[in-house]
This record gives sequence, structure tokens and C-alpha cells, in this order.
Amino acid sequence: MDPLSESGMRTPHNGAVVQRRSKTRSYRQSYRSCLGTASRLGLTPALTARRLNASRRAAKPQNVADKVNPEHLALLVKAEWQLSYVTPLYQFRHTQLRSYSRQLAAFIVAEKQQGLAVEVSELHNSYRVSLSVVQGLTESEDDAETVLIQIHSKPMFARQDEPQRSVWSGWLTCVHGSPEYLRSLPKDFTCLPLFGSRGPEYLSRVVKSWFQKTFDCCFGSLEINHTSLQWFAALWTDCHSQSHIQHLRMLWTIPAAPPLQITYTVDHQDAWDLWNSVRKGPTAAVAEDAASIDLEEVTGFLQALKSHFYRHFRLDLSAGTLQQVSTAVGSAKSSGRIKMSNSRHVIATLTLLTECALLKMPI
Amino acid sequence: MLTQHKQLAQLQTRCQTPEEDMQSFRNFPAPSSSSGGVLWRMAHIVEENKLTLTHLAELEMIHAMENPNQGMWYTFQLLEPENDAQSVELTQFKQQFKCHLSELLRQMSVKIKKHTDEAVWIRIALGSSFSKPNHLKPTYVVHYLQTPYVFVRNLTSKLKPLLSQALTLATRHQGVKEANLSGRNLTSIRDLLMRQYQQVFPTKYRSPPEEEDQPVLNQHIEKEQGGVAAHRRHMAHQAFGDGMLPQLQSAVYMLDTKFRDPNNRTMTEREETFKCVVKFSSIDLLESLRSCASSGIASAPVTPLLSSIPLKGRNYFVVTDNTPGPSSQGHQTQN
Repeated sequence: MDPLSESGMRTPHNGAVVQRRSKTRSYRQSYRSCLGTASRLGLTPALTARRLNASRRAAKPQNVADKVNPEHLALLVKAEWQLSYVTPLYQFRHTQLRSYSRQLAAFIVAEKQQGLAVEVSELHNSYRVSLSVVQGLTESEDDAETVLIQIHSKPMFARQDEPQRSVWSGWLTCVHGSPEYLRSLPKDFTCLPLFGSRGPEYLSRVVKSWFQKTFDCCFGSLEINHTSLQWFAALWTDCHSQSHIQHLRMLWTIPAAPPLQITYTVDHQDAWDLWNSVRKGPTAAVAEDAASIDLEEVTGFLQALKSHFYRHFRLDLSAGTLQQVSTAVGSAKSSGRIKMSNSRHVIATLTLLTECALLKMPI
Repeated sequence: MLTQHKQLAQLQTRCQTPEEDMQSFRNFPAPSSSSGGVLWRMAHIVEENKLTLTHLAELEMIHAMENPNQGMWYTFQLLEPENDAQSVELTQFKQQFKCHLSELLRQMSVKIKKHTDEAVWIRIALGSSFSKPNHLKPTYVVHYLQTPYVFVRNLTSKLKPLLSQALTLATRHQGVKEANLSGRNLTSIRDLLMRQYQQVFPTKYRSPPEEEDQPVLNQHIEKEQGGVAAHRRHMAHQAFGDGMLPQLQSAVYMLDTKFRDPNNRTMTEREETFKCVVKFSSIDLLESLRSCASSGIASAPVTPLLSSIPLKGRNYFVVTDNTPGPSSQGHQTQN
């Protein structure tokens, strides 16, 4: 774009990649760290077999309420979740969830009392943990079923008849995970790469350490990188024909001294029209079966928004980082927090997040 | 500081004891805001000293005048001065203002003080026909006589029309409108409006080069980029000012313009405008914008949309296309 070339300082070109090309595990680590929050790669380079899909199906209006227990669904959509990735779990059985619940409750109390041995049956009045299966979130056969974890408790001096409240909830899921990867795992491993949690930090830490000890897995924080945030902006705008998005809001941080925050909110109709004008081929409004969305269309959409901004303010948003994308359908922050406000689009969101988690895993 | 101590000493000697005043004050529910909470606790503490409500209100006003950079201040501008508007001085203003306001409202408490920097501070606590004035949530109004600017904090919708009327009459103007400038620092928004900060005026000839406070890092970079960087810095300072800048926290632009992009024919041919809202926020907005312009993140010359913030002294804009011609700089801001 002509105006952009006049700026005295060129912003880093989106495709620039600087990496060490060694084949050892340390190379893998550096590749993975490139996809953290500091990354502004527009296209992940084809250096490993796994990368973010360059095209994906547009979100179909899913009648998820038919397939999934409405209580579970209500739990999923009402809160903002902190995301982590999980490496595959060793010898995790969906049939033993009751016993896992008891073990986890015992572990929590033990951790609280700093290692004193406590019997499993004595714990019911302080913590109650329930692990349950959420069926229906995923359609493919390779995906393991989603597991929901809830911790209930009541305060120390509460009355006897007061019910226990939920103090912490979390879930482990795999939605449309890459079939080659899932089939390549050894038999005893269950892959549930995406972990979401909500509640006090100390309980999250305890739950994670119990999982790590019991199933020999590894947790790590999952930041939502720039490309994924762009995907969310495009996917959620695409949902406008089915669910009213109200607006498309993006939060950028510019590295000035002191840092400048720019909140760019676009009217829903204008965002929808712009998105349709960027789509190549038949638009989603016309075609019945969901056409696939390419990464080029996504970057074109964001580029158009940035150029409209530049025309007015002569400030190139590429110089900053995209931190947050939100619409009425959901909101995603680069720190790894996600909120899915509309149950019909939960599956599409979880699909993208599962892909991010699989990509971020060190194994 | 000295006057403050003197006033406090005066208050302590001048103790009166109308207990019912204190009682009615204590009957209000404890407020959630921090300044109201301070007043609440003070009421408990000083009750032994038998200080009255008026004393407390006085103390609070002194505190507010010494610490003006709290809360959110909104700016208004007086319009169409009458012939004698310039000659309004303090006693006349006080008398007229109190007189007009008390005509409109029964239960209210108004205090007017003059600050050392010539500002007139007005503290208004409103009651209703059934209750005494609520001193926990007073409205503060600051006005500099002989200027058309009024700064207000904590204005309620009930008080707004009455305050406008009283102000216009007392200052001999015909109307008042919102000036589209708001911020937390009263001193900053005042300095911005009255241009009391270091400005750089556009000159035909480049001013002598500024002293380099940073050591030159790389001779080659300096040779190639030095001139360009200096030019950028000069443009940035021209747009925003030199030295310390008034502290603003945010600027909001309501954009309602047509989408024009040579690469995108569909949107360019679209009839409707592209509506969006852009909000810039920072702990020191003008400093951030100036540094964006110096470092090149914002292209030089700085766009009039951004340089209007210090130029016009406002941080809320509605931007539309007034002319249908395609021009990237042809945006008019509505007043």
C-alpha cells in the first residue's frame, strides 16, 4: 500500500521467520516458543508436519443443545476460561471417573494440610469433586470424550443444611483433533489436549499437579497467538448470519512510551459486509453447506480493517499486537482466556483451540 | 498549606453543636465511593469534637481544591457572551449564581471559594423536597472568570439543566454546551484548553538541531536515518508540543465515513458508511501519541484527527465525510 511505504519505520514484515534449523528437540522447543505471545507470524512455516490449518470449514449452526446435556452446556458458556495445553494422559479410563473424583478430593485436602495422610471416606464434608463425561461435543471417532471436573465445597462454619457451592470448574477436551496424530499415539494414551479452568488459582494448581502425578502428563499455558485471534475475528464475524454478533471489537497494544491501547469496535452490519466482500467464491450466505474459509481471506479481512484505520489515523496497527477479539458470540484474549457466549458456536471455537493446543504441545 | 491550617484552626475554635444536623447526616447509608467513605469515618471521629456538618463540608472542599486530579472532570463551554460578560467579577458572580440556583432548588447547599490560581470553585450538595442535602456526593464546578470554560465533576442529571441555567445567567452568557473534553486531571485539561503547555510553532526554517541526549549507537544508521528521524521528531513536537504534556487518559472517535480501498471494489461502491468507534487510551495519551509520531509508528505529518486533540482541546470526536470526493485527508470533524 502506498501510504504504508512512506512511513519512516517499516513494520516487521508478516512473513519474516528467524529460527534455528536443527532437528533435535531443542529445535522443537524454539519452534514452539515462536508461537507464543511475542509471535506475529502470519503463516506458520511448513517446518514440521503439524501447523495451523490454512483453511477450515466455516462454523455450521450446530444444534448443540440436542446432543449435549443442557446443564453442561450452560456451564461452558457462562464463564471465561483460562486455557492450558495438556500432553496425552497415560492410562486414563473414562469408566473410572468416580474413583478419580475421590482420589482428587483426597489429594486436595492432603495438599491443603500439607501432606498429612487422610482417608478418602472422611472428606465429604469439606470438598466434593465430580468428574463427568460431556457427550456430544465431538463427532469424530478419534476424539476422546470431554471430561468435566467440578469441585464443590462449603465454608468451614456453614450450617448443615446449606448446600455445597461450586468453587472451581474445569474441562478437558479434544474436538476434531488431527486424526493422523491421534491415531499415531500408543494404545494406552488418551489425548485431551485442551484444558480450561475457572476458579481460584490454588485449586487449578492442585488439580493440574494431581493429573500430572496420576497420568504422567504435562500442563502448560496456552496463549492464543496472533493468527488464531485473526481466525476468531473472521469465524465469529462469519457467524453473524446465524447469531447476531452486535459488534466486532479488537484491542491492540502499540509499543509507544507509555504503551498505547487502541480499541477498535466495528458495527456488526459493516463487519459482515466487509467480510463478505473479502470472501472469494460463493459467500456463506448463499451456499447451504459451509464453504471453507482460507487463511488468505482471514488476513485480507484484517488487512482491510487496518487499512481503513490507517486512512484516518495514519497509524499502522501492524506495529502493535492484537490482544483481544470479542463479539457477542465470544471473546478471546491473547493471554489465553476464552469466553464462548453462544452455545451454537462452541464446537467451532473448541476446534480451533484444540488445534492450537495440539500445536503447542511439546510432544 | 498555611491557609489550610489556619482554616482548620478556626474551625476547631468555632465549635457549635447542632446535633440534629449530625444526626441527619449519619442517617444516610454509608457510601461506596472512597471519598464519601472518608467523610463517613471522619464524622465518627470528629463527633467528639462536636464539629458540625458545615465544618466537614468545608474540610472536604479544601481537600478537593488541594487535590483536583481525582474523579472524572467534564468540560463545558459558555456561548455567546453578552456585552458585559468580560466585566463579571467574583462578588457579582457569587451573588448572581447563588441567587439563581436557590430560586430553582430548595434543599441544597452551595459553597463558593476562590482558589489561589484565580479559579472559582463551587461545591453543590443537592437534597430533595423531602430530604436534606446529600453531602456525601457533592458536585464540584470549577470556572475561571473571563474565560468561557467550566469544569464539572460528579454532575447528576437532575442538577444539569439547573446548573446550566444558573451559570449562563451568572456569567452573562446565552448558553452552554458540552466541550467534548474529559479527563481525570483537572490541571491537565485546563492546561490543554488554555494552551498553557510548551508548544512548538510551525516554522519555515528548521530549528537548530536539539542536543543529542542519547549516544549515537551506530554511525551508519545515523548517517542514513539521522535526518529522517530528526524530521519525524520535529513534526511530532509540532503536532503535540514540547516538554511535559497535559495528561489525558483517552480519546474517542466515532467514525462514520465511507470505506475506500482501491483493492476492494465491493466495499468502495457501497452506499452506506462504515461505522466504527476507535478509542485510544493510555496513562498519558499525548505522550504516547507523540512517541508514536517520533518513532514512525504514526506516519508524519501527523493526521489532523490526532493533532486536533491538543489543537482544539477536545478528546471526543464525531468524524464524517462532508465532501464526496475521494481524499484521504479530507475528513471534517463536527463540532
